[in-house]
Amino acid sequence: MQIRDLLQFQDMRLGEALKIAGQIGGVRKRDLHLLCGFTPLHLQTYVIAYLRLRFPEDTIQVHPGLYGDLEGNLERALDQSAEGAIAVIEWADLDQRLGFRGNGGWRTQTIDDIVAQAKEKCARLEKKLEALAQKIPLTLISPTLPLPPLTQNSPVQSSKFELRLNALLEEFLLKLSESKGIRPMSVSNLAVESPHHTRHDVKMDLATGFPYSLPHADALARLGVRCLFPGEPKKGLITDLDQTLWKGILGDLGVNGVSWSIEDKSQIHALYQQLLDSLAESGVLVAITSKNDSSLVNEALQRTDLLIHPETIYPVEAGWGPKSESVSRILKAWNMGADSVVLIDDSQMELSEVSERFPQIECLLFPSSDPAGVLALLKHLREIFGRAEIREEDRLRVASLRAANAMHSGVSETRSDEFIARLQAKLTFEDGEAASGRTFELVNKTNQFNLNGLRFTEAEWHARFGHPGSFLTTVSYEDRFGQLGRIAVLGGYCKGGRCVVDIFVLSCRAFSRLIEFQMLRQLFKKSGSESVVFMFKPTERNGPMQAYLGQFSSLENAAAEGIEVSSEAFVKACPTLHHEVSEKWTMQESKRSC
Amino acid sequence: MDDARIKEKLLKCFSAVFPELNPAGIESANIENTSGWDSLAHVTLLTLVSEEFGMEVDFEKFESAISFSGFLTLIRETAPHEYS
Repeated sequence: MQIRDLLQFQDMRLGEALKIAGQIGGVRKRDLHLLCGFTPLHLQTYVIAYLRLRFPEDTIQVHPGLYGDLEGNLERALDQSAEGAIAVIEWADLDQRLGFRGNGGWRTQTIDDIVAQAKEKCARLEKKLEALAQKIPLTLISPTLPLPPLTQNSPVQSSKFELRLNALLEEFLLKLSESKGIRPMSVSNLAVESPHHTRHDVKMDLATGFPYSLPHADALARLGVRCLFPGEPKKGLITDLDQTLWKGILGDLGVNGVSWSIEDKSQIHALYQQLLDSLAESGVLVAITSKNDSSLVNEALQRTDLLIHPETIYPVEAGWGPKSESVSRILKAWNMGADSVVLIDDSQMELSEVSERFPQIECLLFPSSDPAGVLALLKHLREIFGRAEIREEDRLRVASLRAANAMHSGVSETRSDEFIARLQAKLTFEDGEAASGRTFELVNKTNQFNLNGLRFTEAEWHARFGHPGSFLTTVSYEDRFGQLGRIAVLGGYCKGGRCVVDIFVLSCRAFSRLIEFQMLRQLFKKSGSESVVFMFKPTERNGPMQAYLGQFSSLENAAAEGIEVSSEAFVKACPTLHHEVSEKWTMQESKRSC
Repeated sequence: MDDARIKEKLLKCFSAVFPELNPAGIESANIENTSGWDSLAHVTLLTLVSEEFGMEVDFEKFESAISFSGFLTLIRETAPHEYS
């Protein structure tokens, strides 16, 4: 696929937005606050339309606030449940005199007062935005419209007033960007999709109070929804070498003949390497597939001027077989589905060969002779691999994969208890709330060892912590091969004197270490319960979970009330466990009696 | 022919803004008999008409257009040449 095809911005016409927004949704309801100081009118229509496209199965409800009362709208939103909020601040929300509908005068003295008022307003908004973001995720859109011509300067010169206002706004946004839950929309990206001079509809603003042109409302809604509900990021990137990671053909030019520098007119490859290195640092898995001599590739990857750290690349598949074969081996080494992976190659033929076998892989052409095309590719990669937060587990991913593969290479086909005993494995159980972000991610991402495939929105997730009688623990793992970080979650509640588990996930990186048995053992011990009910539901991909539970109980009658596993059945099926367990998990007294 | 095209487009605009309206009843729709025809819906209808017919809508002039037929008359007067 040509990356430029992906970057064509398709404007949605109002008629189309109304049609999409008017479609009937499913049973599941999604509520969203749209908070601004003006009547959102077409912006609301576009927001509903983009939410419907994002969540086609759901019924969308967007709640606007009252005209001219952004602060009050933020306050009221605190008391109403929703899955997120888009807050739009325009200049007039900081001081009415900064809008086009104000009549406060533009004399010098007035202008000085505007800055002081705007400062106070920012301070108040800051508190209210932070309070709301504690509860639900919030996309913040900062002023997008021009200021009225209220200073004495010619418009070609920046006025002190405008600079002071901008400085105030920058400080305000910087502070808010550090608050958890607040996602400021990128001003520069918005400028690409909605140029400044096309944003303000003066006629509409003066006649109705809605200030945006339709294309601007469209762009704000599209980006606002994407910022609030980003898609699932891709996890792995497989790259070609010749004419992709570097300029030149390794087999022809030799190790020192390939290049990535300004001097060699191959800087675009240097930019690509830096991006890959940055992605790898954030936990994206990077592998190589190259039709090359493997010893030559290994030698080239030792070059000290490479801008991607070679230790972050795993695995390296160099050889002369079809690339689809090496991609298949890479997916196996990563234990990852093809739909989470991107392949980048300068050869359309190679991309097609892989795409035929793995249609779910996003295959992207590296346009080595088109610098602008490469830059567009880099931006697209940022978009599809973008993450709001980087955690320690992300940084550990490559090391733990190497360790896991090293471990498995030392085990025979069947599980070797002796080998597992020698792992010196340590498990740490912690309260889930302490690691909320990672816990949330694990539960929403894990497919194979997943009790029921339940997925949560951020709002649902946060609400879960306050539920009386519920428990949630995360499990971290390390052994003599290294750390895996937080790899499992167990959650549930007490019901009718029994312990009920409705969340049970284990990362596939941590399979074959008997961690799932240790988790259940700890649950029996901690709860003092004679039996545990698992709210199991078969899914297309949770075969490992089915095999696990099948050891204790028949899954054939897995009805709505779940599968009950008695302590006796567990003990009978549980193998010898050798983990050293550290418990930092608190189960309150009331829960212990379940 | 052109008049039929104007009507067809206007029917679509009304249907998009007032999805509850029975298609057969759109031509007789007015502000009194159409639930949801408030000031916001009016602005939405004006904007949509402006978008669909590629014309600048004069808010003051269209303020008096409070029925399907009222809109039809004003569009005939205002729309670009291709529709007239």
